[in-house]
Amino acid sequence: MRFGIFYELSVPRPFAPGVERSVYENALEQVRLADELGFDSVWAVEHHFLEEYSHCSAPELFLTACAMQTKRIRVGHGAVVCVPAMNHPVRIAERAAVLDILSGGRLELGTARSSTWTELAGFEIDPDTTKQTWDETIRALPRMWTEERFSWRGTSFSVPERAILPKPVQKPHPPLWVTVTSPGTELDAAERGIGCLGVAAASFKEQERRTGEYRRRIQSCTPIGAVNSQVATLNFLYCSEDPAEAARTGLGMLGLFTQANTQLLFTREAYPTRAYGSLANLAPAPARREGSPGDPSGIPEGMAIGDPDRIVRAIKEWESIGVDGVNFLLNAMEAIPQEKVLASLRLFAREVMPKFRKRENG
Amino acid sequence: MLEGNADVAALAKRAPRLESFEAEPLALPSVEILQVTYELGGRPPESLFPPALAPTLPVLAVLSVWRSADSPLGPFALAQLRLTCRSGVRPRQLLAASFADGDRARAALNERFAFGARPAAIRLERFYDRVDARVEADGRPLLDVRALGPLPLATGDLQFFSSMHPAETPKGLRLVQVDADLAITRAERASPHVSHFEPDAFGVPGAKLAYPVAAFVALGDVTLPRVRFVCRPDVNAFAGTERVG
Repeated sequence: MRFGIFYELSVPRPFAPGVERSVYENALEQVRLADELGFDSVWAVEHHFLEEYSHCSAPELFLTACAMQTKRIRVGHGAVVCVPAMNHPVRIAERAAVLDILSGGRLELGTARSSTWTELAGFEIDPDTTKQTWDETIRALPRMWTEERFSWRGTSFSVPERAILPKPVQKPHPPLWVTVTSPGTELDAAERGIGCLGVAAASFKEQERRTGEYRRRIQSCTPIGAVNSQVATLNFLYCSEDPAEAARTGLGMLGLFTQANTQLLFTREAYPTRAYGSLANLAPAPARREGSPGDPSGIPEGMAIGDPDRIVRAIKEWESIGVDGVNFLLNAMEAIPQEKVLASLRLFAREVMPKFRKRENG
Repeated sequence: MLEGNADVAALAKRAPRLESFEAEPLALPSVEILQVTYELGGRPPESLFPPALAPTLPVLAVLSVWRSADSPLGPFALAQLRLTCRSGVRPRQLLAASFADGDRARAALNERFAFGARPAAIRLERFYDRVDARVEADGRPLLDVRALGPLPLATGDLQFFSSMHPAETPKGLRLVQVDADLAITRAERASPHVSHFEPDAFGVPGAKLAYPVAAFVALGDVTLPRVRFVCRPDVNAFAGTERVG
């Protein structure tokens, strides 16, 4: 089981001078600690215009800073929006290769197509075309990284023969992923032989279904490059020795994330199209009380919020349904003071992580 | 978090009277629907909503025109402006203003579902390559919209959301949640075009239709069911939502 940390870089109002810098500096301190503690990866999303929810519009820069300040943790560019109006495919390949070089071959590249009207309209992107442009881009990326000279004549972009430079350190290329929010995308991942990066909090049942479908389909995939057959899911982490404090603090974070998330204007709500099958809301499903009446905490199923024992139980459940990794949001809207976030990371690394490392080693 | 900060007293001034929550459902067969959506600009998003609601970012102006030729209340047309928002974590649309022709239908919509519709002449015309709608009150044009180049879409590709209608109710000033049920049998997407829009008449003075989003035309059976929820406008919906049916 691999453990990652995941950043939306949410910024609470009011947007006073210095508040964004503080959010970024807090995140970098968390990343440095996570590296020391043995976390496997740090992921940063790409979002534009999403007030409060995510001020992470240039994740490759944030991740470069992460790479420069750490030694071991892998950097997850996740996910870059594969729509030429937002990121030309050549620029994606170039920036990813540079990040792979600067991090010493620690890059993971997530791909996506954006799910909000706010972002798509901000770049005058036709929602009907994003799946196609994503597909075309991800098929081109491995070739751009591995061929000495590359050319492409496609529907969403064309490139005459050119050398795409530099080339990544990892050979044949960094692992590719696709973000999975709505049902069905796991099949897109499997058919292309790329990793399944959950970015919406999913129930055990839904994740089990997705993982099962993914595992079945990837057996017969036509890979677009080197196969990455990992499944990772998104979670929230707040670990404290005191279960009541953990629930209070963790649920506060969860509530603020959910509110910020629901203020987003999803494409499906604005624009009638079959290209976006669901609202793609990233918030956890309404809290299904775990094992009521024994667990009155109100913590939704599977969330890594609580004391170490509770979190171990939740992660074992994820492990049992075939998930390879869990990526954690550590904070939302700066709801949790920085010292508590760091303490939560330390406690998780001391009490929870060894339970899974020992199993792998033994 | 951005939350609505519109003056609740001002909301009360335009709120129609809803005498009872016990009104019978209203079934409207084969309603022709034109919906044109724009991003709304010119006003801070939070100024458009009472504290119970939170704006989406951006706020969408949803202009819809229904024509019901076979209504049990006689033929009528209804034009509405609704604004996209959240009630708690749920997607909703706040009714900013509405107009209706057909006296019986208008009275029923107002008395049973707090539409607060004012009289107007409403025209909805279907051409081969477009659908036009026009709203006039007291001989003055208020709205002129077109949906250009309609192309078929699956009926399931359309999404509809519950509306929040300000009203003076037996419980006091409330936002009445109207959960219209639309069984769509035909759907087409089109390009939106608005040639005239009076923001004052539609309850959003100072606002402008800033950026076109989408248009659709549809045909379907519409049911306005009995009211089940209302919400205090002055407090967050988490605290102010009440079940009434």
